[in-house]
Amino acid sequence: MVDCAVDDVLRMLGEEQLIELPSDAGAETDLFAAGLDSMAVMQLIVVLEERWGVVLGAADVGRDTLGTPGRMAATINARR
Amino acid sequence: MRADVLVIGGGSAGLAAAVSAARQGARTVLVERHGMLGGMGTASLVHTFCGLYLIDGDSPEFANDGLPREIAGRMEAATGRGPVKMGRVWVLPQHPVDFATIADELIREAGVERLFHSELISLEPGWRARVVCRGESFEIESASVIDASGDAVAAALLDVPDERTPSERLQRPAYVCGVQGVSGEVSGLELAGRIVEGIRAGFLPKSAMGMHFRASGRPGEIFGTLDLTGEETGSYDPTDPACLSALESTGREHARQVVSYFKDHQPGWENAYVAHWPARAGVRESRRWVGEACLTGDEILSGARHDDDVALASWPLELRETNRGPKLRYPDGGEAAGIPAGALRARGFERLFVAGRCLSCDHDAQASIRVMGTCFATGEAAGRMATT
Repeated sequence: MVDCAVDDVLRMLGEEQLIELPSDAGAETDLFAAGLDSMAVMQLIVVLEERWGVVLGAADVGRDTLGTPGRMAATINARR
Repeated sequence: MRADVLVIGGGSAGLAAAVSAARQGARTVLVERHGMLGGMGTASLVHTFCGLYLIDGDSPEFANDGLPREIAGRMEAATGRGPVKMGRVWVLPQHPVDFATIADELIREAGVERLFHSELISLEPGWRARVVCRGESFEIESASVIDASGDAVAAALLDVPDERTPSERLQRPAYVCGVQGVSGEVSGLELAGRIVEGIRAGFLPKSAMGMHFRASGRPGEIFGTLDLTGEETGSYDPTDPACLSALESTGREHARQVVSYFKDHQPGWENAYVAHWPARAGVRESRRWVGEACLTGDEILSGARHDDDVALASWPLELRETNRGPKLRYPDGGEAAGIPAGALRARGFERLFVAGRCLSCDHDAQASIRVMGTCFATGEAAGRMATT
């Protein structure tokens, strides 16, 4: 299975329009500062499951797991 | 009954309009369908004042002086909580219980004659209004009228064309309830994950997705907010009683299911219960007046100013055309746009003014000017205009 890259996460965030990504978004962009709130997180969890088969629950949601595209990619790769 | 100024609706705009007119010395009558003032901020438990402050400020700086600043000051004194920065905007957490009593004080001090439990049922230019309370109707003659009903009720009763966004693009409604008995900190993200678990496990409906929680500032009290599609009985129509009825019962049902699921599955929620329902679901957009001027979303986004501006719109376009969270669009440069007096004057009538979310603007601009902080400002401006 090919690893999920930061670019894959950025593409997903753009396509799903869960938040307004800054144009210079990269691995270290703070997604919570960009508008990722509890409402968007619920949809994000569903999207991650649909796209990558990663099943996240209440214990897995936080800044350290989903706070930046880099951390999100790492979480996806660790949980697949 | 005679008045100089008759204000229809005592939400944030109508409250400010009535206080402002009465402070100018006008005999002011305020007609309100509930037993308290504050509208969305009391009856619908919307617990944040948005639009009070300028965008991007390093510190909270009021966009509009006067009543917005005064009401915010009284709220801070009541709750002990100051403004909070969320992304690029400052907001003031507010408590609906405090708001209702602050509103009572404001209108008592200003000498507004309030008629609670009353609804406008007819209006004739001149102005002669008929108001009903529990089956008894009576007439009010007034030199000026301010429609702060939120739904342009006066336009409907005068049978003049109003502006209305097609149902599928209307801003979606929100259902807010009060929850008690929760111990420990509220982690919005953890609760978000828990709701998804509940949906996955088949305990919660998919439409419960999006329910979010925020501490009220009072010990053990939390507000839960659920954005609804409004399409429970077909297309969303916030002036159709069947649609509004479905909003209320669906809101209660889903909120009860979520709290019940959390009781069994979320640490700290073992003793949680829904402590109060709102008097009504929160409607964001319905009819708008056709005024002498029409404020547009493009004007808000370019920070446009006009010669006859009476207030500033300092909230981004907060689009909620789906129930999957807001899409925010900020003005270029973050400059607040002006709201012209013409947008507060009903076209084709003398001495008929509009304030709050149903003033004359397009759908995009309404996504900015509908918030309570801006409604205080347009209400205050309409109160001044009605007395000059």
